[in-house]
Amino acid sequence: MFLKRIALAGAVSLMGSAAFAACSYENEVPLKSLSAGFEAWKAVTDAMGECGNFQAELDQEFRTKQPAAFEANPSLYQIGGVSNGTITPLLNAGTIRPLDDLVAKYGQNLSPNQLIRINGEIMAVAMMVNTQHLMYRSDILADLGIETPTTWDEVFAAADKIQEAGVVDYPLGATMKSGWNLAQEFVNMYPGHGGKFFNDDNTTAVNSDAGLAALATMKKAMAYTDPEVLVSDSTYVQQQFQQGKIAMANLWASRAGAMNDEAESQVVGKVAMSAAPRAVADGAPATTLWWDGIVIAKNITDEEADAAFRLAMEGLDKEMVESANDAAIWLVNGYSPTDIAKGAIETATANPAPPAYPSTTQMGLLHTALGNVLPSFLTGEQDAAATLAAIEEAYTTSAKEAGVLK
Amino acid sequence: MKFKTFAAFVGPSVFMMILFIAAPLISVFIQSFQVTQPILQQVEVETCTPGFLTQTCTTEIKTVPILGEDGKTMTQTSWVGLQSYKNVLQMDKVWAAIGNGSWNEIMQIDFWKALRFTLSFTLLTLPLVVGVGLAIALAVNNAARAIRGPIIFISLLPFIITPVIGSLSIYWLFVGDGILTAMMERWTGTNISMFAQAWTIELLMYFYRVWHVAPFAFVIFYAGLQTVNMDTLESAVIDGASRWERLRHVIVPHLMPLIIFIALIHLMDCYRVFEEIVGFRSQAHVISLQWLTYDFMTPDDAGNRAISRASASAMLTMIGIVFLLILPLRRTWRDHKGSAH
Amino acid sequence: MSTPKAMQQSFALRFSSGAFLAFWCLLAAFPIFWIAVMSFKSPVDAFADSPWDVITGPATRAAGHGLSVIDIIAGLAVLYFAIRWAFTRLPGLVQQYCPPSLIVLGWVFGAVLYAVAFVLIFFGLLPLVLGALNSLLGPLGTPVLGLTTEHYVSVWAENEFYRNFLNSMLVTAGVVTISLTVGTLAGYGLARSGSDLAFWLLILALVFRALPHSVLVAGYLPVFINSSEILRPILGDGAPTLYGQPWAVIAALVAINQPFTIWMLRSFFQNIPAELDEAARVDGCSHFQAFRRVIMPVMWPGVITTGLFSFLLGYNDFLVTSLLLDAQNQTMVPAIAGYFNRETTTTDQVEAVAAAVSITAPLFLLVMVFQRQIVSGLTAGAVKG
Repeated sequence: MFLKRIALAGAVSLMGSAAFAACSYENEVPLKSLSAGFEAWKAVTDAMGECGNFQAELDQEFRTKQPAAFEANPSLYQIGGVSNGTITPLLNAGTIRPLDDLVAKYGQNLSPNQLIRINGEIMAVAMMVNTQHLMYRSDILADLGIETPTTWDEVFAAADKIQEAGVVDYPLGATMKSGWNLAQEFVNMYPGHGGKFFNDDNTTAVNSDAGLAALATMKKAMAYTDPEVLVSDSTYVQQQFQQGKIAMANLWASRAGAMNDEAESQVVGKVAMSAAPRAVADGAPATTLWWDGIVIAKNITDEEADAAFRLAMEGLDKEMVESANDAAIWLVNGYSPTDIAKGAIETATANPAPPAYPSTTQMGLLHTALGNVLPSFLTGEQDAAATLAAIEEAYTTSAKEAGVLK
Repeated sequence: MKFKTFAAFVGPSVFMMILFIAAPLISVFIQSFQVTQPILQQVEVETCTPGFLTQTCTTEIKTVPILGEDGKTMTQTSWVGLQSYKNVLQMDKVWAAIGNGSWNEIMQIDFWKALRFTLSFTLLTLPLVVGVGLAIALAVNNAARAIRGPIIFISLLPFIITPVIGSLSIYWLFVGDGILTAMMERWTGTNISMFAQAWTIELLMYFYRVWHVAPFAFVIFYAGLQTVNMDTLESAVIDGASRWERLRHVIVPHLMPLIIFIALIHLMDCYRVFEEIVGFRSQAHVISLQWLTYDFMTPDDAGNRAISRASASAMLTMIGIVFLLILPLRRTWRDHKGSAH
Repeated sequence: MSTPKAMQQSFALRFSSGAFLAFWCLLAAFPIFWIAVMSFKSPVDAFADSPWDVITGPATRAAGHGLSVIDIIAGLAVLYFAIRWAFTRLPGLVQQYCPPSLIVLGWVFGAVLYAVAFVLIFFGLLPLVLGALNSLLGPLGTPVLGLTTEHYVSVWAENEFYRNFLNSMLVTAGVVTISLTVGTLAGYGLARSGSDLAFWLLILALVFRALPHSVLVAGYLPVFINSSEILRPILGDGAPTLYGQPWAVIAALVAINQPFTIWMLRSFFQNIPAELDEAARVDGCSHFQAFRRVIMPVMWPGVITTGLFSFLLGYNDFLVTSLLLDAQNQTMVPAIAGYFNRETTTTDQVEAVAAAVSITAPLFLLVMVFQRQIVSGLTAGAVKG
């Protein structure tokens, strides 16, 4: 219900008839932002909109538009929403500005944890973390007497039991839609098996034992999933959960809230969260840590930057978090983690901790190569060794074209 | 018509086409022989990123572009000849695969995989679209006058509906336990997953395309049927021609220019097939040439795009289409020569 | 018109032809009908496994949104009379009260007025009356069919979909008008010139049409975003940023659509006897005067048909509009696709379905109104290959 209220509040403020009651000041500099469009961004931009003179663009094409729009002079947007993946092109092109003086001026409520420092300079302010975690039907696991799995081997053992009991269509759900999602699954699994992505000379190191192990785990998972898993993205897995068709999935933390949405879900209160499973018993959870946050464009006047940052701080304040507490794992003061955040927090604070998603040019190239080559392994057209060789080759070709490799 | 008058008539249209189509085309052509790279350097970077409670700081060597005086990334452009085409075509692998006699190996190379699908998609749906379109046109022409209006209206629906929405509506009917899949499962008693293997997805894509385009063929054929010469038909009846012979020898020849028109439009549109790939999420199993180009062009999280390979693949697509069009266009050329002299 | 005896068909043929037609109509309408049904249900029902649940909507009914038998009967009756009236009386009224020269405007005005009246009666008056009736009638008044319009309300009111609707209308109107103006001139020029240049121009246009759109659009994006910097040396400080400007998108769409437009119009003009304008030229008219006085009065069937195809292109475009427009100017199709991005919920998807169904409504209207013109325009020779 609160989402609807937020949407309504957003609509009212956009229509310009808004009472600026929720905002502590009235913004007079016209400002625009460009970010992704998920619930957390809706909450933040709506809070910023309450101060007036602000237009938010929540766009699924933001990855395509953002680097070019920030490079224009003057920049088409003052405020940008980024994650640790999408900040890379902005950092590389130098189109976002250091925020140290602005943080000193307006950032009293920020915690040091939120400040993304590159070589000591604050380049972005994080607002939330995101990661995958294990979501499972606590009722089914309790009925069958299964302990909460902590490793993938235990997940498979549990899946065996659930399949035997036949209580759901498929014991496992997975976001293996070919392309970005499937590649992300590998990016989670591979470091979990102790692999590293790159050698010192920028060539890729995925063609390794850890690579084979990661592929084997992914293939094994497919035995328990919907046969159409290569078209299923997070929304689809979330729907399968809501309709009671699957019992476990390693899914994004930002999806947890939907399980208890009465209007959509048939499994309200039956889904519990725990840390992402480990790939090897003493390793880190097989996942990566992500953050989302805001950046300020470089190609704008200092006055605009000042106003933009002030507005962004208004969007990232306590009231916003309190009104949208379950929309994300917030880093902002005032967040009180509820049950559904338990798994994500366990994952993020695990020891050893999962790595952050590496924000480098090479990783972008490798991610694309993975997304394009992996399907042929999972459909059985290529064996594991040939797949890893093909990934290496696809990466090498695009890395040479991008100038990363000579 | 004098050249000057002609130029005045076509001028605005040609100007717009040059500005928005020819100019990008030329730049694509040039880019397919070039590679533009940022000038990179390796620097040590300390990055601090948040965990839930505390930050982790890592220091690593990163490869980053050098920024120039004007604050923009410094790039260098070099001519690489046919290198991008080689990267797309991967002929060395193709020859090796032919040497092994392995069709499967060729199908592991994106370009050839895409070409295989694009061609079979184009060539298989063509007769279906023409056939179904003609069948509907004949059936509608046969129906009582009073119900023709509503039937034409319903028949046109699949054509006018927004393609993104049309393909989605079909996708939902079949994905997972979508109601049509569930229905088939009840009939056959087996568990069917339409999106789990390549051939069922391909089948759905063919079905969608025919569903979407057949109404276009239908309305054009139907218009053509209104101008069939009744005298010729009647004399054919008097000559004792059966219904089938009349269709073959009177109606189809009358519609021939329209069939060619449909074929031309259909070849072009199908060769660019793209929406179906995205709508049916078939990337894991089948891809098309335009999708390949689009995929090269789409930036990843780090902002990289393979512009050179995208350009090369776009040029290869163009060459393919020109080959496909030669056949139907020969007729247009003859007509042109015939009418001009 | 009586059918000659020899042309009469056997029962088997008539039956199979009719059966085929019925099957085709089912096939054509079913997917669209189905998403329309989905759009009126709560998310749980819309994505339910059993088709029966999707149609009857138990969860929607449980949430208190349902129709009783009386509601359905009354609703259908009102619907029937409304449609009947639209087809029998409305055309007469429009023709009666509208001067013939402004007939197009009259139709638009009539349609809008009709739509507003219909919405007021169907969604305003009817529920009030039926609400009272239902409480009186007992068993007949209990809901049997789950149905909710909340997704439409949230799409149109809360998410301000009408902005996207207005943007779509602006872009589409621009595309159709400019496309036809530029295209008619070019089509006429090409039809009346027998030169080889004209022929190669046509072939080139065809090859242009075959170009993958994603290639073109990716070429536009950097230029559109940086246009203010690029154009500054020429236009001074007033140089516009083309990105996000509807008119820039209109220009791009017109250009992309030109090849098809000039092909269709050229073959249409070829079917207008050249003697017509030659006679005018003998009377001392220039080519342009001949075009205006002689050709323009007879070209409308072909132009309307071609215009319809331009309309579909402008209205349905996704690739160009999604990349080159920003949120404030976004048209409907990319706005709907925005509901389906990486981070959506089931409710978002059902709302997207509701939005999708609403954007097909104008297409329905358009085809209803112009159906006859499409066929007659095509018959008159807008396509001759």
